[in-house]
Amino acid sequence: MSAEPAVAERADAAAMAVEGPGAGRRRARRDLVGLAVLIAAVVVFPLVAEGQVVFVGVFAGMFALAALGLSLLMGLAGQISLGQAGFLAIGAYTSAVLTTRYEVNSLLAAVVAVAVAVAAAFAVGIPILRLRGHYLALATLGFGIIVAVVANQWEFLGGQSGIFGIGDVAFNGRTYDEPGEQFYLLWATVIVALVLARNLARGRVGRALGAVHDSEVAAETLGIDTFRLRLQVFVLSAALAGIAGTGYAHVVGVVNAQSASFQLSVELLLMAVVGGLGSVWGAILGAVFVEGLGEALTTFIPRVIPGASGEYQLIGFGLLLTLSVIFLPGGFVQAGRRLSGLGGRRSAGATVPGPGPASSGGAVAVREQGAAVEPLLPREGRPPPGTVVLRVTGLERHFGGVRAVDGVDLEVRTGEIVALIGPNGAGKTTLFNVVSGVLPPTAGTVEVGGRPVSSAARPPRPHTVAAAGAARTFQNLQIFTSMTVAGNVAVGRHLRSRGGIVAGALAFPARREERAIDAEARRLAGLLGLDDVVDTRAADLPFGRQRLVEVARALAAEPDRLLLDEPMAGLAAAERADLAHLLRRRRAGGMAILRGEHDMEAGMARADRGGVLDDGHRIALGPPSAIADDPAVIAAYLGTDDDTALPPPRTASGTTADGTTAGGATAAGATAAGPAPGGAPAGGTTAGGATAAGEADRRGDGGGRA
Amino acid sequence: MIDLLQLVVAGLSTGAAYGLVGVGFVAIHSVTGIINLAQGEFAMVAGFVAIALLGAGFPLAAAAVAAVVTVAVLAGVIERVAVAPAAGSSAVVYIMLTLGVSTTLKATALLVAGPQPRALPAFTPGVLDLGGVQVRPQDLWILVATVIAAAALYVFLERTTTGRAFRACAEQPVAARLVGISPSRMSTLSWVLAGIVGAVAGVVSSPVFQTDWNIGLFLGLKGFVAASMGGLASIPAAILGGLLLGVVERLVAGYISSGLQDAVAFFLLIILLVARPSGVFGRTGAVARV
Amino acid sequence: MTTLLRRPLVVLLLALALVAAGCAEAEDGGDAAAGGGGGETASDAASAPAGDTVSEAPATEEGPIRIGAVLDITGPGANLGGPERDTLELLVEQLNAEGGIDGREVELDIRDNQSREDEAATQLTSLLQEDVDIILGASRTGPSLAMRPIAEQAEIPMISLSANLSIIEGSEWVFKTAQNDSVVVQRLLEWMEAQGHETLGLARDASAFGEGVADIFREVSGNPDIVLVEERFATDATDFTAQMINLRDAGADVNVIWGIPPAAATATQAYRQLGIETPLLHSHGIGNPAFLEVAGDAAEGIVFPIGRLLVADELDPADPQTEVIQEFVTAYEERYGARPSTFAGHAWDGFTLAVQAIDEVGTDPAAIRDYLETAELVGMSGVFRMTPEDHSGLGPDALVFATVRDGQFALADEQPGS
Repeated sequence: MSAEPAVAERADAAAMAVEGPGAGRRRARRDLVGLAVLIAAVVVFPLVAEGQVVFVGVFAGMFALAALGLSLLMGLAGQISLGQAGFLAIGAYTSAVLTTRYEVNSLLAAVVAVAVAVAAAFAVGIPILRLRGHYLALATLGFGIIVAVVANQWEFLGGQSGIFGIGDVAFNGRTYDEPGEQFYLLWATVIVALVLARNLARGRVGRALGAVHDSEVAAETLGIDTFRLRLQVFVLSAALAGIAGTGYAHVVGVVNAQSASFQLSVELLLMAVVGGLGSVWGAILGAVFVEGLGEALTTFIPRVIPGASGEYQLIGFGLLLTLSVIFLPGGFVQAGRRLSGLGGRRSAGATVPGPGPASSGGAVAVREQGAAVEPLLPREGRPPPGTVVLRVTGLERHFGGVRAVDGVDLEVRTGEIVALIGPNGAGKTTLFNVVSGVLPPTAGTVEVGGRPVSSAARPPRPHTVAAAGAARTFQNLQIFTSMTVAGNVAVGRHLRSRGGIVAGALAFPARREERAIDAEARRLAGLLGLDDVVDTRAADLPFGRQRLVEVARALAAEPDRLLLDEPMAGLAAAERADLAHLLRRRRAGGMAILRGEHDMEAGMARADRGGVLDDGHRIALGPPSAIADDPAVIAAYLGTDDDTALPPPRTASGTTADGTTAGGATAAGATAAGPAPGGAPAGGTTAGGATAAGEADRRGDGGGRA
Repeated sequence: MIDLLQLVVAGLSTGAAYGLVGVGFVAIHSVTGIINLAQGEFAMVAGFVAIALLGAGFPLAAAAVAAVVTVAVLAGVIERVAVAPAAGSSAVVYIMLTLGVSTTLKATALLVAGPQPRALPAFTPGVLDLGGVQVRPQDLWILVATVIAAAALYVFLERTTTGRAFRACAEQPVAARLVGISPSRMSTLSWVLAGIVGAVAGVVSSPVFQTDWNIGLFLGLKGFVAASMGGLASIPAAILGGLLLGVVERLVAGYISSGLQDAVAFFLLIILLVARPSGVFGRTGAVARV
Repeated sequence: MTTLLRRPLVVLLLALALVAAGCAEAEDGGDAAAGGGGGETASDAASAPAGDTVSEAPATEEGPIRIGAVLDITGPGANLGGPERDTLELLVEQLNAEGGIDGREVELDIRDNQSREDEAATQLTSLLQEDVDIILGASRTGPSLAMRPIAEQAEIPMISLSANLSIIEGSEWVFKTAQNDSVVVQRLLEWMEAQGHETLGLARDASAFGEGVADIFREVSGNPDIVLVEERFATDATDFTAQMINLRDAGADVNVIWGIPPAAATATQAYRQLGIETPLLHSHGIGNPAFLEVAGDAAEGIVFPIGRLLVADELDPADPQTEVIQEFVTAYEERYGARPSTFAGHAWDGFTLAVQAIDEVGTDPAAIRDYLETAELVGMSGVFRMTPEDHSGLGPDALVFATVRDGQFALADEQPGS
C-alpha cells in the first residue's frame, strides 16, 4: 500500500510552485527555450507535412486547448471533469449558430462562444463544485450527457443531425480555408493560451491551487476561498474548451451532439493525463501524442486484424490510460524530468538530513536569547495592547451525542499568550477547529475583532475567519506536501497579496508582487531557522521542522491572532526554546496568541494566562501560578477524581471530525497520541485521518461535500 | 390506465437491469471507496460471452452461467492487475484507472465481436397478456434474476463468515483490519461480486437491450444513478433506485418526449448529488451498510 | 496507400513535440539549449524525406484514379455501411482485374464516419487532402448532409448513397443513388389507397433520415391531417414501448415505422408485443438481412417499397434490371456468402456511375459533374435517368412492394400502381 500515485500525480504541480529565485529563473529559461522550439516546430510543420497530416495537427491543436483547461483543473485544482466535451460543444454550437444563422463574423462569434461557455460553467459550477472527488466527476459526466441530449432534442440546434455548412474562419476579408492556415491560427492560439496558463500556474493563483490540492483545510485557514478559486479554474477550463469548440465548428464544418460525447471527454482527459496533469506543457504533448496515436492506430490495426472496423483506436487509448495511471502517473512531463535527472531530486530530498533539530535552529535561538525581547513584525493599525481580539462565548460542539466542547468562554487580548491546556481528548483541537471556522459550532459564538465570525446560525468559512485576521497551525500537520518550504510560507502571504487570474496570466503586473512574496517567505523561514532547507520539499523535512514551517506559514499571513495547536509537539528542546522566544517577540509586536498544549508544565511556562480544558469544559482560567494550584486541574491531570481513564468516550465516536486521531475509531488511536514528543501519529502530514470534517472524501455518507 | 401499466412494466424490467448494475457499484464502493466506471462493461462482456457460447452450440443456460463465471474471474483479475497496484490513490486516480479499463474492454469487444449489435434470444418466447398489459416473458426473467441475485448476495453477506468479514470491511475498516481481515482480499472479492451481478444483468437484459460494444456506457451510467439513490451504500436501495429510474424514464418517454428519457437520469443524478449525496433512500450521517 | 508516407510525418510530429518537452523540462538552461539544438537537427533530418512526399502530387490524367468513400461502417448505420464497403471492395477488385479505367488503376480510399456527421465531415476534409477524383457516400442522410457543403466548396462531385431529398436539392455537385423518400412516400400512399386506408400513425427515426417525413406524407397526399401521430425514436434506441403505445392509442388505419435496423427491427418487435393489429408499413430503410435477424417473427407480413435487388429471385426475366441484378447477386454471394442488401445495391449504383463518368470524360471534376447530370444507368436501385434538375434520377417505378414471408424478404402479392 503506497500513496505513490496520488503523490506523484501532484509532483508536477509541486514543481510549479514557487521555488527559490534561482530555480525560478532556470525554470523560466527552460520554458523560453521550450517555447522557442515549439514555435519553430509549429512554423515548420505545415511546410514539410502533407495535407492529411497537417489536418491531424489541426485537431491536435484544437484538442490541446481543451486539454490544457482540463490539465489546469485536474492538476492544479485536483478536480476531475468528465464533461469537458460539454463545454466544447457549447462553444461549437454557439459559433455554428451565430455564423450560419446570423452571419456573424467568425471572430466575434468566437468571443461570444467563449462567453457562453463561461456563463454555462458558472451556472453548472456553482452547484456542482460543492461536490468532491468522484461525485464531482460523475456530476460533470452527467452535465456532458445533458448537453448532448439537449443538442439532440432542440430543433433550433438542428436535432440529431446538428448544424452543418459552417464556413471556414474568415476575418479581415480573408478566408482561412487551407489546413495549413487553420493550423497556424489554432496553434497560435494554443501558444498564447500556453503562455498565459503557464504564468498563471507559476504565480499566486497557481500556488493557492496547489495548496488547495494538498490540504484544503490549511489553504482555507490561510484565507484562500477554495470554492471561489475552484470555480474560477473550472470556468477558465470551460473557456478554453469553448475556444476549442469554436475551432471545431469551423474546422469540421458540422456540429452535432457528438461534439459533447463522453468519448470525446475521455479523449481530452487522456490527453491531460498522458501529458502530465497540471503541466501546461503536458497538455500540449498529450494532445499531440493522442491524436498522433489515434491516427497511427487507425492505419495500423486493420493491417494486423483484417476486417477490424470501428473506433478500434480506443483500445490504444484505454490501455494507455490504464498503464499511464499505474506506471507514469506524472505523465510525459514527469518522465522527461526523471530522464533529465530532475526526478532524482525528489528521492534525494527525502534523504537530505534536515540539520538536526538542535543544530542550526538552536544556534539562532542562542544568539537571540541574550538580546532583549525585541518586538517582531509590528504592524500599523493593530488594536492597542489589551484589546480583546478573540472572544468565544458559550461555545459548544457536539458529535452525535458526544459534547466535545461544552460551553467554553474565552477571551484573548492583544499582546498576550494564552495557553489552552488539557489532556488528550479534552476538546482542544475541536475548539481550535471551531474557532478557526473549520467546524461550525453547535451553539455559541466566536467573535474576531468584535465581529461575530461563527455561530450555529451562521456557519463559518475558514477563509473568512482568516480574512478577519486569524491564522492557525494544526496539531496533525497540514503541510502542503508538494511544495518547498518557501512555497509553503508563500501561501501564507495569500491574503497579503492580490494578483488574480488575469494579472497572474499576464505575468507582468504580478511579477513584482511575486518577488516580494518570495523574499518575505524566505525571511520568515529564516526567522524560524529554516534557511538551510528553504528550497527543500516541505514533506521531506523531519517532523519537528515541518511544524516550524506551519508556524512560519501562519506568521506570513501577519495575523492579529495566532492560534497554535500543540506547536511544541515533536520539537527538540532547543527548537522549543527558539520558538518560545519567537512567540514572545511576536507578542511584543502586538499579536494575540492562543496556544494549545497537552503538557501542563510546558504550556504554562511560557504563557501569560492559562485555561484548562477537560472533557469539553473549561475548568480553570487565570495566571499560570493560580492554575497550577487549582484543585479541579489537579484532579483532571492526576486523576485523583473518578475519571482516571484518559480517553473519554468521545474518541470512540468514530468521527474523524475531531481531527485528533487518524481513523479515530479505536482506543488504540487515542493512546498513540500520547504526551511524548512526536506522539501524534507518524506521517501526520499526509494522514488520511487527519483531515478535518468535510474535507475528507469519505464514502457512503455526506462526507463528499464541504 | 392500461398505457400507464404498460409503461410501468417496461420501466420495471429496464429498471431492474439498472438496479443490478447499480448493486455492482455498491459492492465495490462500499468496501474500497472506488467508483468502478467499468461496471457497465461487465454486463457487456457477459452478453458477448453468452452469445458466443450459444453460437458455439452450448445450451442457453450453460452459456449464461459460463458467461457469469467468466466475467467474475475477469473482474477479479482486473482488480489484481490494474486496481491493486494503485492502492491508496485518490478518487481521481481511480476514476481515470477504471475509465481506462472500461475503454480497453469496450475496444476489445469491438475488435473481437465487431460493431454490430447482437442479442441472446428471449429465454422464453411469446408474449403474456395480463389483463390488457402485454408482458414479455423476458421482462419477468430480468425481474426474477434481479431478485435472485440480490437475495443471494444478501444471504451471502448476512449468513456466511466471508460475507460478514466483507461487511465488516465496509463498515469498520480499521476494526476489520485489527481482527485480521485482509482488506486486499476483500477488495478482490468485492470486484468479483460486482462482476457477477453485472454479468447477470448483461445476460438477462441482452434479449431486450441487445448487446453491443458500447452498451456498457449506457448501462453503467444508469446503474450508477440507481446506486446513487441509495448513496452508493445499500443494495436494496440500489435496486429500488434502479426500478424507480426505469419507471420514471418510461413515463417521461410516454407522456413527455421519448428523446428526453436519457436526460432524466442525469438531471436526477446531479440534483441528487448536490442536494442529497446520501441518497433518496439513504439516511444522512448513518453508518454505511451493505 | 499513402499511409506509408504518412508514418514518418506522424513520427516527426511526435518527435518534435517530445523534444520541445525535453527542453522545457531539462535540468538547467545549458542542457535545454543543447536539447533545443538537437531538436532542430532532428527536424531537419526528418523533413528531408517528408519534403519528397509533398512534391509527389499526382498529375491529372495519368497515374491511378482515386475514388474516396465515406461510409457509416460502424455505429447505428453499420448495417448500411458494412455491405456498402464490401460492395465497393468487390467492384474495385473486379474493375482492376479487368484493367481499370483506360488502363489506369483505380484506388479506393474508404473511410469510416462512425455514423457521425462530424466524423463524416472530418473524413471528407481529410480525403480531399489526398486528391481524390470523386467522392462516394455517406450511407445515411445525416452524414451525407454534413458532407455536402464541403464537397460543394471543394467543387468535387459526390454521390451519396442515402435517401433524403435535401441531400441533392439545389446542389450542383451532389448526386445520390438511393430512391428519394418522396418517391417512397408516394408508393406507400398508393398502397394505402389500394387498401382503402386514409390515416396513418408514424414512428420515425429521429435522425435526418426521418426528419420531415411527416411533411412529405402531408404534401404528397394533399391531406394535411393524414398523419394522426408522429413519434420519434433515436437511431440507437432499445426500448420502444412508449412510442408504440402512442401509435396504438392514435388508432390510425395503418402505421408506418420509418427507420433503419436495428432500431426499426426492435420497434417492430415492440409493435407486435403490444398486440397492435393495425397493418404495419415500413420504409425502404430496412432492405437488409440484419432487419430480419433482429425482428424475427415480428417482421412477418409487413409491407414496404424497395428496389428490385432485394427480391432478385422473383424478378420477371423481361425486366431490364434483372440481368445486372442477378449478375451482381451471384458475384456478391460468391465472395461474401450472403445476399447483398439494398444498401449494397446503392453502393453498386454509386460506384458504377462514378466509373462510367470517369471512363467517358476523365477526371476533371466539372466534366464528371456535367456527365453525371445526364447519366443513365440500369442499376440495382432502379433505372437511373439523371437530369440537371434531378440528381437522383429514380422514379416510383424503381420501387416494388416487398413483404416478409417465412422469415425471408419476398415480393408482395399485390403491386398496386405498377
